[in-house]
Formats: sequence, C-alpha cells, structure tokens
Amino acid sequence: MLEPVALKDFFIVFFSGAMVIITGALYALLFAWSRLWKKPWLMNAAYGAYMLLVISVLILGQTAHLNGFWCWLVFFMLTGYLLAPHGIWKLCVGTHMQHKQDAPIMVTETSNSEYSKEGVS
Amino acid sequence: MNSISLNGGQKLAIKYFSVAVALFVAQILFGLLSGIQYLAPGFLHGVLDFNITRTVHINAMVVWLLYGFIGSVYWLLEEESQTEISGLWLGNAAFWVLTSAVAVVVVVFLLVQTGPGDDFTRWFVNEGREYIEAPRWADIGIVVCLSIFLYNVAATFNKGRWSGIAGVLTLDLVALAGIYLAGMFYTTNISVDQYWWWWVIHLWVEATWEVLVGCIMAWGLMKTLKVDRKIVTTWLYIEVALMFGSGILGLGHHYFWIGTPEYWLSIGGFFSALEPVPLVAMVVHAVYDSGVRHMKSSNNPAFAWLIAHAFGNFFGAGVWGFMHTLPQINLYTHGTQWSASHGHLAFFGAYATIVIAMFYIAAQYARGKQQLGDDLPDRGWKWKWALGLLNLGVVGMTVALLISGYEQSFIERAQEGSTWYGYFAAQVHPWFIQGMEWRMVFGSVTAIGIVLLVWDLFTIGKQKAIKVKAGIVQT
Amino acid sequence: MTNVVFWWSSESFWKKTAIWVTAFMFIVLIVLTLDSLPKISVGSEHVPAYSVINHRIGYEFDKTRNIQAPVIGPEAPLFGKKLSEKDAEALVTHGKKVIQGRNCMGCHTLLGNGSYFAPDLTKSWLDPGWGSEGIREELMLDFLLNPTDNARSFGSDRTMPNLHLTEREAKAVIAYLKWMSSIDTNGFPYNFPVIEQEALQ
Repeated sequence: MLEPVALKDFFIVFFSGAMVIITGALYALLFAWSRLWKKPWLMNAAYGAYMLLVISVLILGQTAHLNGFWCWLVFFMLTGYLLAPHGIWKLCVGTHMQHKQDAPIMVTETSNSEYSKEGVS
Repeated sequence: MNSISLNGGQKLAIKYFSVAVALFVAQILFGLLSGIQYLAPGFLHGVLDFNITRTVHINAMVVWLLYGFIGSVYWLLEEESQTEISGLWLGNAAFWVLTSAVAVVVVVFLLVQTGPGDDFTRWFVNEGREYIEAPRWADIGIVVCLSIFLYNVAATFNKGRWSGIAGVLTLDLVALAGIYLAGMFYTTNISVDQYWWWWVIHLWVEATWEVLVGCIMAWGLMKTLKVDRKIVTTWLYIEVALMFGSGILGLGHHYFWIGTPEYWLSIGGFFSALEPVPLVAMVVHAVYDSGVRHMKSSNNPAFAWLIAHAFGNFFGAGVWGFMHTLPQINLYTHGTQWSASHGHLAFFGAYATIVIAMFYIAAQYARGKQQLGDDLPDRGWKWKWALGLLNLGVVGMTVALLISGYEQSFIERAQEGSTWYGYFAAQVHPWFIQGMEWRMVFGSVTAIGIVLLVWDLFTIGKQKAIKVKAGIVQT
Repeated sequence: MTNVVFWWSSESFWKKTAIWVTAFMFIVLIVLTLDSLPKISVGSEHVPAYSVINHRIGYEFDKTRNIQAPVIGPEAPLFGKKLSEKDAEALVTHGKKVIQGRNCMGCHTLLGNGSYFAPDLTKSWLDPGWGSEGIREELMLDFLLNPTDNARSFGSDRTMPNLHLTEREAKAVIAYLKWMSSIDTNGFPYNFPVIEQEALQ
C-alpha cells in the first residue's frame, strides 16, 4: 500500500531525494581523497557528509511515507551508502596491487603506514 | 580528410561519425521547432505539427547515439583484436543500407507524417510508439544491419584475439539486438504493449547502452592513460555486475502505473535506489586512478568531454533520476515535464558527451595523430566554447523544464487530479510558460554550441597537420 | 609489496560474478514477467475484457489499497449499440491502430507514457470536462472529427490539429479510450475526479 506524498511536502521530497545522492557521492569523494592523500581530517568531513546523508534519508523517509515494508529501503540506503565507499576502495587497492607501479603514490612511499595496512588488509 | 593512417574499421567509423554529427544537428533543429511550438502553438500548425517535430527530435537522438556507438566499436575493433576486420565490405554495405533507410524514414515522417488505422501505416509510415516510431520495415532493416555489425565484431575477435573487453562487448551487442525484437510486434492490449516497449527503452538505455559505454571507456583508458589491461578488465566486470545487478530490475520503476501488479511498486522503488551505486563506485575509482598516475592528456577536448560525461551522468541519471523515482512521488511526476527535464540531462550527460569525446579522438587520429593539447593554433577557443555552450545550454534547459515540471505536478496532478482542465490550467500558469521561455533561450544556446562543435570537428588539427607536413612543428 | 592477488579482487572472480549477477537478475525478470503477463492479459483483474465498453465504468475508493480502483457498472453500451466480445475486440483494435497510425503519442501520453504537449488520455473517457454522461459520446465524436474548431483547450491557445479521422475511425478511438479507462493503474493518475454519472451498482 502506498501513502502518496502530501502536497505541502513536494519540495522537501524532491530536495531530500537529490541530497541523498549528492551527499552520498560527496561522502564517497571525501572518503577516497582522505585515503589517497592520507589526510585524516578529510575523513571527518567525509563522515560529516554521511551525517547529512542520514538526515536526508530520514527526512525523505518521513515525507515520502516510507513506512512498514518501505522501512527496509531506508535501512538499506543508510547501510549501503555507508559501506559502499569502503568496499570500493578495498577493491581499488586489491585490483591495483598486482601491478606495483600502479599502487597509489602514497602507498609506495610509506608502504608500512597505517593507511596501507588499513587499505590492504 | 587525411585518413591515410587509419585502418579499415576506423575508416568505416569515420563514416558513422559523420552521419552521427549530421543527425545530432537535426536533433537540435527539431528540438528548437518543438520548443517554439510550446510558446507559439500556431507555429507550423497543420503543416509540421508537434507530434512530428518531437518524433524527429527524439528519433534523431536515438539514431545518432547508436551511430556514435557503432562507429566507436568499429574504431577500436582492429586494435583490440589485433587483426584486420572480417567482412569489411559487408560492414560498408550495411552502413549505406542503414543510412539510406534512416533517410527514407525521416523523409516519410516529414512528408507523409501519419496514415489510416491499418497495418500498412504501421509497416510503412509510422508505428506511433514513442522512441520506436520507425515503421516495421525499418525495424527489420535495423536488425539486419545490427546483425551484420555483430558479425563484423564477433568474426574479427574470433580471427584475432578474444579479450575481456571483446567478450563483454560482443555479448552486450547480442543483448542489444535481441532486446530490440521485444518492440517489434503489434498488440491491442496497451498494458502488454507498454510492458515490452519498456524492455526496449529501459534495457537499452539503462543497461546495454551503459555497458557498451563501459567497454568503450575501458578501451579508452587503456589507450590514453596506459592503464593495465588486467585492471581495466576487472573493473569492467565489476561495473557490469553493478549495472546489470541494479539496472535489469530497475525496469520496475516503469511498471508502476501501466496496469501491472502492485508488487512492481516495491521492486521498482528498491532497485531505483540501487541504481546510483555504480555511480558511487565510479567516483571512488576515478579518485583512486587519478592518484595512481599523473595524467597528461594529448587530447584536451576529448578529455574535457569525458569529465563532462562524469558530471552529466551523475547529475542527469543519478540525482535527477532519484528525485522523482519513488512511487510515492512518481505518482505525481510521471508523464510531466519532470520526465523531459530528467531525459535531457541524462541522455546528454550519459551518452552524448562520450560520443562527442570519441569524435575528437577520431579527429585527432584522422589528421595524423595530432597532439590536441594546449598548443593549438587558435588556443582551442572553438572546442572550449562549444563545450561550454553545449553544457550550459543543456543544463539550462534541464533546470527550466524542472521548474515547469514542478509546477505541473503541483497544479495539474496534485490539485486538479489530472483532468483536461487541470492539464491546461498548469500549461497556462506563468511558472510553466516562463520555464518554457527559458528552455527556448537555453535551447538556442545549445544550438550555437553545436554550430561551433561542428565547425571545430571539421577544422581541429588541420592547420597543425599542414605545419607538420611542412616541418614547422615538431611532434 | 608483494604481487598478491586476493580472490575477491581477481579478474576471474569478477568475471564469474558479472555473469552470475546478470544471469540471476535476468532470470528473476523472466519469472516476474511470466507472473505479470497473465495478470495484465485482456480479461484479467487489472485489464478487463474489450466488451467492458458495453458497461458503465467508474471508480471507487479502495480502502485496503488506498487508491481509487475501477468498478465495472451496469450495461451502458457505447453509442447505444451492444457488441459481442468479438466485435468489441475488433472495434478496440481498430481504435488502437488509428491511435498508432496518427501518432497520438507524439503529443499525448497514454498511461502516462508519450509526450507532454497535450493531456494524458488514460482516463479521458471519464474526464469531467465532457459535462455529463448524456452528451459525452457526441462531444467526443465532434471533437475528434474537427478538433481545431471544437477545441477544448480551457484558455490555452494550443489546439489539436485536424488529423482527418473518418467517423468510423473516431468511434473506434472512443471505444479504445473507454476500454483503456477501465484498466487498473494502481491509482494513476492520482485523485482523478470522474465525470458525473449514474450509479455503478
């Protein structure tokens, strides 16, 4: 059963829907930069972006009436967007490892850094 | 055009690209006519009505993108398979047959336009189904030509070397040709009609085309940035898994309101939310790649268009798609200018940009492997302005249509319950009209952009090529 | 750094994954299609038989589904002529072919798909703009035969061009529109106010 969006919530739904995707990408972008350039403060910014995503998803869930069965969608979006950049980064490191010259510059310079342990483990 | 250094497939590709550019121009021309008809309904009324101008507008787009893809595949075929193309004469023949067929279809659209409600009309004039209006005889012609193209590709790889890219590409082309068949039959039942119609539209645009672009990108990354083949292939597989994993059942978001069972509401909603995942993966991977190697581009215009592709795909398909995809809101936005807004940015961002990048790569090689870097004789003002104007134009149209669509979903859909009165009440509202006026302004910007683009494609690297021949410039 | 390749980052793993994911999703789509097609075939619960044009069609609020759902009422033959199932199918089929042949989707949407230059036709048979049940058929016929002079554009100067339909073609189109208005579209378009008509029971 659907509970259509109320007229007064139209703008909120469109806006929060857009923000879900934009903050999701921003989080992924900051996350990757932080790992690449080894800048921990950027990771804080990344999780800041993720917090905005959480807020956007919750507002979208409320105004678009994502109740009952649709709660799963909210849950999947929250966990999926959180974990995806981690998984993709791991894949990047993993797939490029087979070719030493392709490892990130940072890794080859500080191969025993915390970053590389985290990235490769 | 100096094409001495090109292989057989690449010469054929240049032919496909040339027709693609011509159809791109036609698309924008007929888009302008359609846009004018929104503002001045009397314009060409009864002569070249909106249903015809709009049909040519969207069909020209589908066909020029298809030509761009086919050209791109012919372009990389011999290098990727490391052998000469099989059955080139057949491919050439198919090109002329397909191009003549396209020309005849357009002429019939413009001159005959419509016909009586019988089978003859559907076979020889107009099928009357959005995006696949081409009459049935042309459908059959398209399938035959696509099969020849498929034969060229498969036989060449078979003779030369199968690679991961080759395998994905060939299977994707089989799917592309096969899915087209789903739209080639008549039924009175409109629910069944639209059920299969979406297989063609959605599974082309949101599945097989995406993977085709993935193959072209993979090959391009290997060639231009010297990325290792194993890595490129692994990532192509990852993208295929993500795109088909989310895109195939993403089809569900078109099955909300066409008479289909209610479970499609949940399936469509869930998989639509998954569809941005491949885009997030691309963001992370692109950042990683940029850290791995110092990029030095030898083809600035192509590189710039690839960046435009990344942004356009993300905003057009990702953001604009998700904003109105959940059924709770799609109930109000389905079939309004929202769809037009999303369509403009998504088609341009995801596909037009990458085909234009291929045009520039072809231009570079056709003129003797030019460096199209920072030292172009005119400093590359033409390609830079073409890039700027085309992107500004399309983004401007998208925002203008968004405002009209927002107003339409509000007044026509939510307040008036989608009656005829409600429809026209929304169409005469100042917000809507101003949106349409701005769309026209930005449509004109796009048109100026295409003029520059065509001019640039015809001239870029030519002066330099002459200088190289004369020994003035070292490369 | 060693040249270790983890199984989860190897080419062969992702090749297999790509194949399995694609195959699995495609099979799920086939299964869903096999389930959906009978449910949208003519004469099913969502898509009524063509002879529905012999009946009054209305909408009533369905509490469990939270939408307006179609209700097939008592007999109310189109143009006062009751048709057999076979004749109804022939008429509706002719209507669909006219709609395709005249490229109606170049301006209108049907079930919300098509273009946005003219009103959606999903429930145009039930549109309150036709005034009342008694004059609807006549008005629709006049409109289709000469849409420019009988424009129903409610203050907009956008008019439908004359597509030179014959009376037979126009009646077939109306039959098609009547049949289409009985399809259960899960509540699309939302909150549609149906034309005033006699009781459905």
